[in-house]
Amino acid sequence: MRVVWFLLLAGALYLIYRRPPAIFHGGPPSLLVDARAIPYYASLSLARMAAAYVLALVFSIAYGYVAWANPLARRFLLPLLDVLQSVPVLGFFPAAVFFFVGLFHGGRLGLELAAVFLIFTSQAWNITFGVYESLTTIPRDLEEAAMAFSLGPGLRFSRLLLPAMVPKLVYNSMLSWAGGWYFLIACEIIALGPVNFTLPGLGSYLINTAQDGRLDLTMLGLGALVLLIIALDLLLWRPLGVWANRFKYELTAGGPAPTSRLLTMWRKWPVARWTTLAGVAVWSAGRRVARAALGPPRRGLGAARAVIDRRWPGLPGRLGSAATRIVGWLIVAGLGYLVVRSVIALGELLLRPWPIEARAIPAGLGASFLRLALAYLISLAWTVPVAYLIATNERAYQVAMPVFEVLASVPATALFPVIVFIIAGRSGGMNVAAVLLALTGMQWYLLFNLVAVAQSLPADLKEAAAAYGVKGRLYMFRVVLPALFPSLVTGSITAWGGGWNALIIAEYVVYKGHTFTAFGIGSLLDRATYSSGNLQMIWLSLISMVLVIVTLNRVFWRPLYDLAAKRFKIEY
Amino acid sequence: MALLELHDVCKVYSEEGRSITVLDRVSFDVETERFVCLVGPSGCGKSTLLRMIAGLDQPTSGQILYDGRPVVGVNPHIAVVFQSFALFPWLTVSQNVELGLESRGVDPKTRKGLADKYIDQVGLDGFEEAYPRELSGGMKQRVGIARALAVEPRLLCMDEPFSALDALTAQNLREEVLSLWEDQNLKVSSIVMVTHGIEEAVFMADRIVAFSARPGRVISIVPVDLPRPRNRKDEAFLRLTDQVYSLIV
Repeated sequence: MRVVWFLLLAGALYLIYRRPPAIFHGGPPSLLVDARAIPYYASLSLARMAAAYVLALVFSIAYGYVAWANPLARRFLLPLLDVLQSVPVLGFFPAAVFFFVGLFHGGRLGLELAAVFLIFTSQAWNITFGVYESLTTIPRDLEEAAMAFSLGPGLRFSRLLLPAMVPKLVYNSMLSWAGGWYFLIACEIIALGPVNFTLPGLGSYLINTAQDGRLDLTMLGLGALVLLIIALDLLLWRPLGVWANRFKYELTAGGPAPTSRLLTMWRKWPVARWTTLAGVAVWSAGRRVARAALGPPRRGLGAARAVIDRRWPGLPGRLGSAATRIVGWLIVAGLGYLVVRSVIALGELLLRPWPIEARAIPAGLGASFLRLALAYLISLAWTVPVAYLIATNERAYQVAMPVFEVLASVPATALFPVIVFIIAGRSGGMNVAAVLLALTGMQWYLLFNLVAVAQSLPADLKEAAAAYGVKGRLYMFRVVLPALFPSLVTGSITAWGGGWNALIIAEYVVYKGHTFTAFGIGSLLDRATYSSGNLQMIWLSLISMVLVIVTLNRVFWRPLYDLAAKRFKIEY
Repeated sequence: MALLELHDVCKVYSEEGRSITVLDRVSFDVETERFVCLVGPSGCGKSTLLRMIAGLDQPTSGQILYDGRPVVGVNPHIAVVFQSFALFPWLTVSQNVELGLESRGVDPKTRKGLADKYIDQVGLDGFEEAYPRELSGGMKQRVGIARALAVEPRLLCMDEPFSALDALTAQNLREEVLSLWEDQNLKVSSIVMVTHGIEEAVFMADRIVAFSARPGRVISIVPVDLPRPRNRKDEAFLRLTDQVYSLIV
């Protein structure tokens, strides 16, 4: 199934991608290099994020719901989601730009949509999985209670399904939102650099000021970005997170419930109360009007339904399920046709004699892999000891965590202009820059995964170790490392996913009109996309990259994950 | 005519090609104004049977008649109380109680009145705006009972309603449920309750339907004619308890 989906996806993108890149003349970038422009750019970036997030939210709820409610659809939708998730999103940005800019005949709107679409793809899958998971874990009793009181579809959704989604929706949204910043900045940088379009925002401001040699302004922009991210976290996500606790089935035992002073303040703030009251008033008035208007037709429908039910009991249900089945099979047939078409199209492309550059692909993959491996080892080398330290020392935790949280809130791509400014042009500079960028994209996943577990190491295990005099190295190897192992594996999987994405912008940089590259799969892909326009190379690079990622996951991480789940999970 | 009739009800699950019979030709009646307990070892399918009576599940074969008509889907005259309470954690006590009424399109004012009335009856006056997690286990089940009573059912189905509570709370609630049921103002005519506590069944029921281990069959239907309120120390009470024990074990 996953293979079929991958082929379909690749084929569909190929069909879009086949357009010649003739639309690539967006005019010279015209951006202000002025500190006063920062708020304006920040608001543009934020607007893009918000638009993408709203789309992702609506999409996720709809997709997750259908995958949960319809077993036939589920068989297709879940594997598709799996494939979508393992695709390095940034690789497809050029495709998206082609498509949307073409759709709007080179207008700015097309470019904006391309960026929003890319951010959307970085946010949606994670939230969708969250929705699906929340729906499948609704306690059976609650579902039966809803059934026993014969809740209609609307009431069932608003009282059972939607509230059940809230905790995951909020938590995964926080993750997605953080990921979104990373891709937003990347979009703005790519658009300005290789693609040569203007996507005014904080990302383009950063790279633009760095190009002008105004590193002071770059730092100012970076500071504004961090401030914006932290403010959103404090004002929006934390209060939401606390509020979401109400929707959990039971608070986990032990430990006080998390609180948010802001949520309390917000609730006490008179203006907030008035707006809420006004909102409720408008809402209920609207509902009353709607009900009055819809009442007669609804009653008519109800009566008709009752007649049908009496005359031919069970008929509507049977008709409905027959219709669903027919529609389902039509969709399957349509998709099947598309699979065949796209496989043929892709096959034709790939069966033509391959360009000479294609020989560089295995070596490129190897070089990129080595870069990631190096960045990964560096991450491991510092995050494991730090996690250990934090696990054994409450004060270290109190002091270090806020610092790490602020550092990690900087999207790695935003550091990119600074890194490039410092090392561009020096020999081997690009190699260092690529590893550094991959590192910033990888290390936090590891650190936070490890710290979460190190912090919650069960007290009785610690006490048992102390009681038997287990200390030092023995404590590290017998207690801490085994306990950390499962989260080390999950953190590593996410980190590598982030790393591959980072390479796509890290190995190929357009800076002050010059192109700097570090040889690897990312630069091969970028060169094919931005300068040679060789479709075969684009597709060969993308496909081989996805293959490597999937293979690594299958033969390396998956077994480790299973081992971790079996041997090292602490169950309580 | 009996309020509820079961004729040769069977339930078969198929799992990985094997079919497992959970209930085998179960037949009995529930008259009006009766308290019937279904007892049996765990896994005998008594909870499944209760779900089929409530219309949450369908028998593989056989018939369940409510008021002489086959049960198809959820019946508005039947309400369910769950073992795990099944309260919606994101709704307040009164929102939980009003939910069944809301789904019937009862207007907000009437809804509120009914909810308040039944919240009062189960002794939760003053907790209308509390969330379930702020309540103790016994109070949660009171909400579950109020929620069921609020839709004013004729038949009340209870699935081990006291087994998640501590002994003292459970005994209090048992007595309250009995006094609510005996109260002539209540619309509930009969109660079907699943339990694995034989003493509990003897304490509460007029009729005890005893089930065998899987596949569940009706071994015997024992009438309980002890006067109410019943005394657990009473000799007749103990004798009856022993009798039901020997049937099942």
